[in-house]
Amino acid sequence: IQAAWNLKTRALTEMVYVDEIDLDQEGIAEILLDENAIAQVARPGTSLKLPGTGQGGGPSPAVRPVTQSGRPITGFVRPSTQSGRPSTMEQAIRTPRTALTARPITSASGGYVRPGTASMITNPDGPFINLSRLNLTKYAQKPKLAKALFEYIFHHENDIKNALDLAALATEYAQFKDWWWKVQIGKCYYRLGLYREAEKQFMSALKQQDMVDTFLYLAKVYLRLDQPVTALNLFKQGLERFPGEVTLICGIARIYEEMNNISSAAEYYKEVLKQDNTHVEAIACIGSNHFYSDQPEIALRFYRRLLQMGVYNCQLFNNLGLCCFYAQQYDMTLSSFERALFLAENEEETADVWYNLGHVAVGIGDLNLAYQCFKLTLVNNNNYAEAYNNLAVLEMRKGHTEQARALLQTASSLAPHMYEPHFNVAILSEKVGDLQRSYTAAQKSEEAFPGHVDTQQLMKQLKEHFAML
Amino acid sequence: MPEGTGALREVLPKQGTRGEHRQAQPARPGPHSRPFSPFAGQLSVEDTAAMVLCKPKILPLKSVSLEKLEMLQRAALDAAQASEAAPPPSAGAAPPRQ
Repeated sequence: IQAAWNLKTRALTEMVYVDEIDLDQEGIAEILLDENAIAQVARPGTSLKLPGTGQGGGPSPAVRPVTQSGRPITGFVRPSTQSGRPSTMEQAIRTPRTALTARPITSASGGYVRPGTASMITNPDGPFINLSRLNLTKYAQKPKLAKALFEYIFHHENDIKNALDLAALATEYAQFKDWWWKVQIGKCYYRLGLYREAEKQFMSALKQQDMVDTFLYLAKVYLRLDQPVTALNLFKQGLERFPGEVTLICGIARIYEEMNNISSAAEYYKEVLKQDNTHVEAIACIGSNHFYSDQPEIALRFYRRLLQMGVYNCQLFNNLGLCCFYAQQYDMTLSSFERALFLAENEEETADVWYNLGHVAVGIGDLNLAYQCFKLTLVNNNNYAEAYNNLAVLEMRKGHTEQARALLQTASSLAPHMYEPHFNVAILSEKVGDLQRSYTAAQKSEEAFPGHVDTQQLMKQLKEHFAML
Repeated sequence: MPEGTGALREVLPKQGTRGEHRQAQPARPGPHSRPFSPFAGQLSVEDTAAMVLCKPKILPLKSVSLEKLEMLQRAALDAAQASEAAPPPSAGAAPPRQ
């Protein structure tokens, strides 16, 4: 009967198991009230909170769209992909935190409560194991049962406190010689936000037994403490013990990407591919880098490889369509986009595809089609700032200045990190003669993208104007 | 009216009064024709900045973990909504009886 119990426990856990290494949802409170920062202002290149200071060597925001934090959009998104550290409470609330909807979760438990209701899904008649009645000490002494039980409590019930108690008892019983329990305690501390304690546990587990997973967990702790350089060194250490280990190399590449060092990230993703040439993340990231470095044909090759591997979703077909168009393979473009639309699972994905179709339409010169596509984007996703901006440009071409201005205002309020709406407002105001507004808008554009030559020229012109007055 | 990109407007140099000669050789620039100087007839150079479009978006692919997480969240939402839908009809049935 114990075996049956064990099996059922593990089966229930497996239903809702998401690899802890990947899972990394931060609540707003944790982001804004961060107690782990060591220095007030981090030196450049040592913090994940500040996007890199130009050591990137990747395409500029003139070519590659940026996210809210100022980082360029990546080719691959994981549960832990940071959408940036917002500086104000307002921005924090606006930042989409959940995987599904754009509405933010407000506390650390927010994201985990939902998996915790997994017990509602799997057991409509009530919980399989009643935690309050469990005698943890008894279970702690039976290692095999204890391990299954721990995983159940941790993943299925999401009851970290009880899980921690069980793990502590079990470790004691094992006389602190079992590395597995140390890692589990470390995971519990991580979830509870006690990062330094988690670090200690993982280090002690590493001393006992080298395991790739432990390296990954420890690196997660360092990243949460905003110590990317330490994490990098840790990974390199891990690579000495496990040469060629794909997850470690991938970890290094991800850190470089977060720090905005695109060239190093690309190098490490290529290393990953040398070891494992079916690694989806590496292929997707390198593909998107090539696309934005003006090499759509190479990007096309990478995305076709993904197709060969059996990846079959909306995003891939959208990317294929874009690469085909820019690589001048016009026969494949529209059918790829059609497939992408068919595979879209929700309105946001549909909006993205229509937005890119709008770009294709602009490229072939069919401005009516482009107009319709951008309108469809907005139908599917009312907060699509880029579509508002592009519609404004089209309206300007038709001469509807006021409509253009209204659209640009919407765009710039939805996405203050993008330089395009601000720049366009500046141009529009300058044409109409409203130089003051033009100057303020140009300043915002410069803030968002300091390297934009046209903005600098415009500001120079305006300054000369003002100097003359 | 907004003319979009600034266009470099050039006015080609006048062909001159040697009409018959030109008519005899309409298309070929003969060895005796005047050398073309690009700035000879230039009236104005305009280089106004144009409005910029936002860039096409390469959509990031989702990891397996992310997809599973989304699926779990969706299932939990559905379960929660189903359980919410069950009590209200029973609560709504009770008061009208009074």
